Amino acid sequence: MAEVARVEYQEELERLEASGLGGLDLVTDALGRTLEAVEHQDVELAQLVIADDDRIDGRYLEVHQSLITLLATQSPVATDLRLISALLHVLKNVERMGDQCVNICKLIPLTGNEPPADEEMVNLILTMGRQTRTLISQSKRAFEDRNVEMARDLVRQDDVVDNLNRECFGLALAIGEDPDRREWAMTMLLAARAIERIGDNAVDIGEQVAFVVTGLFKEFEDASHPNE
Amino acid sequence: MQGAAGATRAEVELAEAGTQSTGPAPTPGAAPAEAGAPSESRRAKTIDVRDVNLFYGDFHAVEGVTVKIEPNKVTALIGSSGCGKTTFLRSLNRMHELTAGARVEGSIELDGQDIYAKGVDPVQVRRLVGMVFQSPNPFPTMSVHENVAAGLNLNGSRIKKDEKDEIVERSLRGAHLWNEVKDRLDKPGSSLSGGQQQRLCIARAIAVEPEVLLMDEPCSALDPVATLAIEDLIGELKSRFTIAIVTHNMQQAARASDITAFFNLEETGSPGRLVEIDDTDTIFTSPKEKATEDYVSGRFG
Repeated sequence: MAEVARVEYQEELERLEASGLGGLDLVTDALGRTLEAVEHQDVELAQLVIADDDRIDGRYLEVHQSLITLLATQSPVATDLRLISALLHVLKNVERMGDQCVNICKLIPLTGNEPPADEEMVNLILTMGRQTRTLISQSKRAFEDRNVEMARDLVRQDDVVDNLNRECFGLALAIGEDPDRREWAMTMLLAARAIERIGDNAVDIGEQVAFVVTGLFKEFEDASHPNE
Repeated sequence: MQGAAGATRAEVELAEAGTQSTGPAPTPGAAPAEAGAPSESRRAKTIDVRDVNLFYGDFHAVEGVTVKIEPNKVTALIGSSGCGKTTFLRSLNRMHELTAGARVEGSIELDGQDIYAKGVDPVQVRRLVGMVFQSPNPFPTMSVHENVAAGLNLNGSRIKKDEKDEIVERSLRGAHLWNEVKDRLDKPGSSLSGGQQQRLCIARAIAVEPEVLLMDEPCSALDPVATLAIEDLIGELKSRFTIAIVTHNMQQAARASDITAFFNLEETGSPGRLVEIDDTDTIFTSPKEKATEDYVSGRFG
């Protein structure tokens, strides 16, 4: 039992993992440009992010199909099976995170050319976005390294994002009586909410890391039973 | 032993065999009445293996196996060639000792009765622990009917023809073969297809109402359709028997068994050992031992 077998299958699985996790790099880029578009009210850049989401969807479809083929032809079991199952989840998360960037970018034209922006709220959203980009990179590294500790730390990092999101909400409430400013603030809340969801997706990826390593799936935090 | 009423059939039969090995065989007429229809469930017996070592002369083939083979479950034995899984299977109905120089150490009990106890008749053990082999091996000159009834006749019993016909039909039904052969019961067993022959052998094995069915790669000579038919059958038979199956086909172990035992040997020439035994879904999703993981993933071998 010393000889290594199934080399091509192993290489294909490694390639698909790299390609699937590479989808997270695409999302990190998309979120970076989304934040830039928010900061500068750049409608053209926002359109670019929306168009570019096809690349993320394409990655999702391509890797998903190849994983299904691997399941059908190679009968993967044990760690390989858990890895494939986890990658299918991660791909779904990648696709969702890309869609959230699109959602934010679609909001930018709605706020007009010279929106009555509140600088403090914009800065909060940019801070949220940057923190979330860190979360995405960390979820990728935790997956690559099969590092459960690093994956668990995503919950702590995500709490920062959640708190910033609540701060945004407070600012929106206190924005004053001017209807234009109120409309702008409500639209920005939707953007903050989308970023907050991207952070949750990164935590989901962390849960998949724990599944690959331990064979047990358990949510790091159960939103419907927060005190358990 | 308790009073006769509390004694299990194995206790009675092994005890009979032990005290009077040349004595009369158990009354076969009692078996059909006890067994009822093939689809009926019954609790079969547990095989309790403790620190078993198996030898062929000086060669130590299997080392230190301790395991319980649970009743009414299918236990698959997997592992690469030469790891001792077939040798181990053959020790469970005292067929290992048929090889010259073969020897068994340790204890193997069938519901608490030591099958290797002094005075226990190996023929009685094999009557309670039946075996189905790799290649279908119906008796070539016997008809389909005679093949199924062969075990009854070999047990030295005299049964009325009606009763025998009934057992043959029930066994063939139990083996999912009745509809295919009911019009040619007098044709030679060898005239059937491979898959039918293997089901005929299963019918022959269950005709004597054993407690345990051992199967040594029962599908390795069959095509995929016949294989799936046997696997379905195995799934049904476990409601009445304890089943242990040796297979090289890992997907078969995954599909057809409840519990999987992985045997391995460190290197050629060293004895085979039981590395890990667990629920089949655990073995195939999250095995504990790296050697098991490597084997079921096909990563080595």
